[in-house]
Amino acid sequence: MRGIEQGLSSCSVCHQMVRVDPSEKRGIAICPRCNSEVHPRIPNSIQQTWALVLASIAFYIPANLLPMMYVHTFAGVESDTIISGVIYFMKTGSYLIAFVIFIASIIVPMIKLFILIFLLISVQKRSTLRQNERVRLYRLTEIIGRWSMVDVYVVAVMVALVHFGGLTEIKPGLGADFFLLVVIVTMFAAMRFDSRLIWDTKG
Amino acid sequence: MSFSYLSCHECDTISRVTDPHREGRFKCPNCKNLLYKNRAGMVEKVFAYNLAALILFAVTNYFPFLSFHVVGNTSHANFTTSIYYLFQDEQYMMGMAILTTTILVPLTRILLYIALFGPLYFGHLPSYATSVLKWLEALLPWGMLDVFLIGVLVSMVKLVKMGTIIPGTSLWAFMIMVFVMAAAQVAFEPHAIWEKIGEQKRKRNKKVVV
Repeated sequence: MRGIEQGLSSCSVCHQMVRVDPSEKRGIAICPRCNSEVHPRIPNSIQQTWALVLASIAFYIPANLLPMMYVHTFAGVESDTIISGVIYFMKTGSYLIAFVIFIASIIVPMIKLFILIFLLISVQKRSTLRQNERVRLYRLTEIIGRWSMVDVYVVAVMVALVHFGGLTEIKPGLGADFFLLVVIVTMFAAMRFDSRLIWDTKG
Repeated sequence: MSFSYLSCHECDTISRVTDPHREGRFKCPNCKNLLYKNRAGMVEKVFAYNLAALILFAVTNYFPFLSFHVVGNTSHANFTTSIYYLFQDEQYMMGMAILTTTILVPLTRILLYIALFGPLYFGHLPSYATSVLKWLEALLPWGMLDVFLIGVLVSMVKLVKMGTIIPGTSLWAFMIMVFVMAAAQVAFEPHAIWEKIGEQKRKRNKKVVV
C-alpha cells in the first residue's frame, strides 16, 4: 500500500504522515507538526534533476581540461590538471596514490552522473525492474557525492603549505573552480531527484 | 500492543509499526530504508559529543596545523591559512566554498546541536526546536570536515616527496574532532524529538479549543 494512493504523504522534514487533499491540484499540504510544505512528490523533480545533471556535465569538461593548480618556482610556472597528477604518480611509482586519485576525481564523478542519468531514464520509462536495487544506487550517489570535494581541498592545502614568499608558490587554477561547481551541482541534482518516483510505474 | 503508521520517504510505502517506542531500528518493509531508530541515552550522547567537538573546534583553529620544510625554507599553516591566501589571491569562489564547508557549516551545526540538546538534557523542550531540527537537516551535507581530512592526508602524501611535513597540535585535534562529530551524527535521531514537539503542539491546541 502506497501513500500516494491513500492521499497520505510523509513530511519531508519531520516524516509526519500528512493527509494531502487529492482535489488540491498542486498537492500541497502544511505539516501540522513542523509547518513545512508537504508535497506528495518533489515538484518538477525530473526536469530539475535533468537540468542540473546537464549543467554538471558541461562543467565537468573544463574541470578536466583546465589546470587545477599552477606551481610557481624560480624556474617558471608549471600547470597541473587532474590527469597529469595521476600520470605523475604512475611515473614515480606511487601506484596506490595514483589509483586513489584516479578513483576519487575521475571515476566517482562520472559514476554519479551515469547513475543519475540511468535513474532518470528508467523513471521516465516507468520501468518496474529491480526497484530496490535502483533505490540503492540512488542512496550510493547521495553518499559519495560530497567525497569528490577531496580534490578541491587538496588544492587548498597545497596553496596554504607551498607558500615561500614569492619564490615557490602554488596557486589554484580555473579547473579547480569548475571542479567545485561539478561537485556542488551534482549534489543538488541528487537532492532534487525523488526516489519515490521509482515506484510510480502506473499510468 | 500499540502501533503507528508511517510512510517511507524513499519509496512511499505505508507500513504499520508495532510497538513504536521499543528500542531498536525500524526499517521500511519494501525498500529496507531506515525509518528511524530508538536508542537509549541519545540526548546525553549527542550533547556530550558536541560539547567535545566545540572544544576541539577551538583547539583546531587556534594552534598551528601543519608546517612544511624545504631546503632551508619553512612555511607554517593554520587551519584557515588556505582560506586567507585564496581571498588574498581573489579566488573568492574557492575561498567561500572552503570557508563554508570547513568552518561556517560545521560550527553552526555544533552550536545548533548544543542549543537544542542542552535544554533537552535538562528535561526542557525549547520553543525553537522545530527550526533547529530543520537547519540541522538542511546543513548536513554541506559540512565536509570528514572529506577535508582525506584531502589533508592526500596532500601530505603528495608533499612528502618535496620536503618535510611537521604536523601541529591542531592536526591531531582536527582528526579527533572528525571522529567525534561522526559519532554525534550516528547517535543523533530526530524522530523522538519530533514526537515530543508534536505532543506539545497537540496539548496546546486542546487548551485553545477547551
